Amino acid sequence: MDNFVYYRPKTAEAAVGLLDAKWGTAELLAGGTDLVSLQKQYIARPKKVISLSQVQGLDQIEQSRGWPMTFKIGAGVKLATLAASSALRGSAAALAQAAEEIAGPQIRNMATLGGSLCQRNRCWYFRDEQSPCLLKGGDKCFALDGENRYHAIFTQGRKCVIASPSTVATPLMVLGAIAQVLSPKGKREIPLAEFFKAPTGPEDREHVLAPDEMLLSVSFSIASDKVKSASYEVRQKLSSDWPLVQASVAFELDGGTAKNVRIALGHVAPVPMLSAEAAKAIEGKPINEETAAAAGEAATSGAKPLSQNGYKVRLLAVAVKRALLTAAGAKKYWEV
Amino acid sequence: MATKWPENRRVIGTNVPRLDGPEKSTGKAKYSYDINRPGMVYGVIVRCPHAHAKIKSIDTSAAEKMPGFRALHLIAREGTELYYAGEDVLAVAADTEEHALDVARAVKVEYEVLPFQVKESDALENDRKTLAPLGPRRERDNLRPPQTQESDEFADGMKNAEVTVTGTYGMPVISHQCLEAHGLVAEWGADGGLTVWASTQAVVGTADALARHFNTVHKMDMAGKVKCITHYMGGGFGSKFGPDVQGIACAELALKAKAPVKLMLDRASEITTAGNRPSAYGKVTIGGKKDGTITAFEADTWGTPGTGAARTVGPLPYVYLFQHKVKHTVIRLNLGNQRAMRAPGHPQSCFFTDCALDDFAAKIGMDPMQVRLRNIPPDDVNAKNTDPLSYPAMRGTLYKKQIEIAAQLSGWANKWHPPGKGGDGPIKHGIGMALHTWGGFAAGPNDVTVTISSDGTVLVQTSTQDLGTAQRTVNAIVVAEILGLEPKDITVQIGENPFGRSGGSGGSTTCPSQAPASLLAAVKARDEMFAVIAKKLNAKVEDLSITKGKVVDKASGNEYEWKKACALLGTSRPRGVGTWSGAEAAKQANAGLSKGGVGGVQVAEVLVDTETGVVRCKQIVAVQDCGLIINKLACESQVAGGVIMGLNYALFEELIADRATGRIVNPDMEFYKLGGINDMPKIIVHMIDMPERGVIGIGEPPTISTHAAIGNAIFNALGVRVPETPFTPDRVLAALAKGAK
Ligand SMILES: Cc1cc2nc3c(=O)[nH]c(=O)nc-3n(C[C@H](O)[C@H](O)[C@H](O)COP(=O)(O)OP(=O)(O)OC[C@H]3O[C@@H](n4cnc5c(N)ncnc54)[C@H](O)[C@@H]3O)c2cc1C
Ligand code: SF4
Repeated sequence: MDNFVYYRPKTAEAAVGLLDAKWGTAELLAGGTDLVSLQKQYIARPKKVISLSQVQGLDQIEQSRGWPMTFKIGAGVKLATLAASSALRGSAAALAQAAEEIAGPQIRNMATLGGSLCQRNRCWYFRDEQSPCLLKGGDKCFALDGENRYHAIFTQGRKCVIASPSTVATPLMVLGAIAQVLSPKGKREIPLAEFFKAPTGPEDREHVLAPDEMLLSVSFSIASDKVKSASYEVRQKLSSDWPLVQASVAFELDGGTAKNVRIALGHVAPVPMLSAEAAKAIEGKPINEETAAAAGEAATSGAKPLSQNGYKVRLLAVAVKRALLTAAGAKKYWEV
Repeated sequence: MATKWPENRRVIGTNVPRLDGPEKSTGKAKYSYDINRPGMVYGVIVRCPHAHAKIKSIDTSAAEKMPGFRALHLIAREGTELYYAGEDVLAVAADTEEHALDVARAVKVEYEVLPFQVKESDALENDRKTLAPLGPRRERDNLRPPQTQESDEFADGMKNAEVTVTGTYGMPVISHQCLEAHGLVAEWGADGGLTVWASTQAVVGTADALARHFNTVHKMDMAGKVKCITHYMGGGFGSKFGPDVQGIACAELALKAKAPVKLMLDRASEITTAGNRPSAYGKVTIGGKKDGTITAFEADTWGTPGTGAARTVGPLPYVYLFQHKVKHTVIRLNLGNQRAMRAPGHPQSCFFTDCALDDFAAKIGMDPMQVRLRNIPPDDVNAKNTDPLSYPAMRGTLYKKQIEIAAQLSGWANKWHPPGKGGDGPIKHGIGMALHTWGGFAAGPNDVTVTISSDGTVLVQTSTQDLGTAQRTVNAIVVAEILGLEPKDITVQIGENPFGRSGGSGGSTTCPSQAPASLLAAVKARDEMFAVIAKKLNAKVEDLSITKGKVVDKASGNEYEWKKACALLGTSRPRGVGTWSGAEAAKQANAGLSKGGVGGVQVAEVLVDTETGVVRCKQIVAVQDCGLIINKLACESQVAGGVIMGLNYALFEELIADRATGRIVNPDMEFYKLGGINDMPKIIVHMIDMPERGVIGIGEPPTISTHAAIGNAIFNALGVRVPETPFTPDRVLAALAKGAK
């Protein structure tokens, strides 16, 4: 990796004060599980690395009592902590379930919520210094007609066809989370549903933060104990592996039918995306294998897979179906 | 009289935990990677990023001015043509690992980029002739002329078939993925000697090849002056014979830098350059009778060994003796060259044969186990007379017995169902099996020295290496057996070429070479000890013997504790050298000490999620023979390890080359998938002990048939064949969709 100057500011204000007005020269370092490997591969080549390890208060989970129950999760909270939190398991299962399945224990013990939401994509051409694709200033996307088995299936109008990498993005989106971010100009809030962006060149990231902004925390509110949520990912390996596709769902289960349904799809498009079609398909209906399957089919509408990843369309329908059934507490017919 | 294995074995064949387990699990064991020498500097190799290119120029002027620069060694030159992305260009050394990487990046190499091919199907469609000139006509063809073999009565066999079934099967190029990458530390001594701490599966071969290199290239006299040390190493699987490009480069850098150099490959280099297992694809037709008798086998196969030209498939129709016609086409591609990988050619042969056999069984509506029982090769009558302990003499009896045991342990009779009847829900159960064979003969020569000291200590020295097989423990068990001691009482030193001759650990030859040599050495040392102490005990040598912990004088009935007996040695140190080799093993008089030729049967059980195509392997039963078992625990562990590797071939492993860039897109452990603990099935190992045959190697056989057994289990679950490994969700779903049509 290139040499860099290492900073360890004590406050978030000091941290953003060290950031630059453009991408690439300064990077925030959280757990380092992504940034350090990008540096070793010369994909990230910052001159300044700003560690968040000394910034106070980033690793707290605040939770209100009673309903509606509000959570505010610091950007520095470890994925392992999210997975183990009994409060989240109880009221925001989608998030705990998603966190629990990410990578392996070593990564989860280091990786943070902030790093997980702001991580770079996993396209293998992007991560190969010798493959000068669009995101590295080249003029072509190698994945479009190359090795694309793990890439996006919602590709309409996309120049870069990465699969969104963050598994915690989808549960936070269905829970209606809001991101609190800080820049030298002050604080602002961004709904998670608007937090992600499809990159198309070297000046882009996979999110909308400005180069001198940092994520402080993410908050959401659960209206009542009628709110049910779940995440389901299809993965090939049980040990450390990426999801092939992932779905998160949240809804209020009221008199046996689902209301205010939100369904988000991960690892299938350059951004994690809410699927209005899938939500609409099941809104107001009881959740059973038939209705869940119909919602799953609806989730795939508009999918336009690449040469090698048509199978992900089928997997997506299944992931949505199983996430819905899990949230509704139905029998997990796929576990025998 | 020739030495034999003891009739009553106290230690041999028991469960002995590996002696170096505590060292390995506490980190006390030092692997090449862990060796740090005073003043050591770090080597890095600059590699060609293109799949095919000619070097136009190499400019190292900037690199040589970088901080910490110490040495440079050219591997290729201007004008050299390079044939795959990752091929070595030059090596540099600098004072820290970080500086070495910076120096390497400061080297400017200009390339003329040339056309390349990295996919078998592309070369089959249009041979762009992108490889090195080969053969007398110096042709660059990627497609080599096919080789065909046909048995005498193949045509009749096909004619006599009542039913024929044709299927296609295949497996991609995969990587050895040694956990400890290839590499070494090299240090020149003041005396002009070279010491290397190398991660190698051929300690002596590595030292010799380095000596040859410096003798030839530098006109040095390195005879007896190269020392290779490999006390521990982290996996080789056939990819770590000899010093390799990085071994020579590292020693050259050390010479130039006048400092010890450490050069270990990074993961991407390990995967792209340090060996791969060739791919194999093929169309197989089986013809046979409705009663299950197979009358003919035809296979048209092809595969790539990378830049090389070696066959990619082993014997066909593998363990069976069918009338056959077999064609094989080698496809050269711009990928790293193949290296031997755990039973070279056999997993490929097994897959083509055993999967096709199950498809045939399905077509005639028979249980594939019954089809196998009907078709296993019979015992060879001639061999029964000439060499009754040989594999041909017993193969029919052996496979029948192994299949019966595997059936019983797996509950086959209750679990097998016709293909496609794996349950009503979306999760389907399946069970499948496959057979394999391997050699495992002694090779050599291997020298083992046993020395007994007057304080009762016993030292065993041999140059051989331990690839993770618990080799030290093998030597200790054998010597302990003869000297009435426990394995832990024996000090074993291995992995240094001055300890004598030894072969590379390939072909499952190490245990069958080392165990007899240890036996001979221990017997000689014991006899020499008897000769010395007999006088002092007023006993006759022929009356002395050893029982557990004691030397016994038959005549007087006196017993002497081992240490007391040793104390009588005074200044003499009885020493025995034992040597074993393929040639020794072949001598009639030596029959029974070591042998080769094994069989094995594996039964796999899977659950297939037909909605997602995800396969989970739930159980593998592995039945295996290996002659006289030296360490039952290590044997079982070796078989389990083989099964794990085979499971990874089946479900996860694939080296993915990109058509556009010519580069491997997954040179890592993230998208080059390998199963973790959660992905492992229950593994039930059953060893068949055949002490009368002597010792046979077990390194390779247990990895051969696992992927075919899993493939057949998936077929049994789904009723459709997933033709190619790894059996990933996309391939399973594609097969299901095709089957539904
Ligand atoms: C084998 C493997 C498997 C994996 N599988 C999964 C998976 O299934 N699902 C999944 O989601 N992830 C997976 N990951 C990725 C992993 O989750 C990320 O590496 C991790 O979440 C990053 O968090 P971190 O704290 O280590 O971030 P870092 O590596 O420290 O930072 C990552 C990026 O985020 C930026 N950043 C960090 N904190 C902030 C902040 N507060 N504000 C603004 N920017 C910030 C950094 O500047 C950097 O660009 C996997 C990783 C590996 C190695
Ligand atoms: S998908 Fe995006 S990151 Fe990957 S090759 Fe195409 S442009 Fe580059």
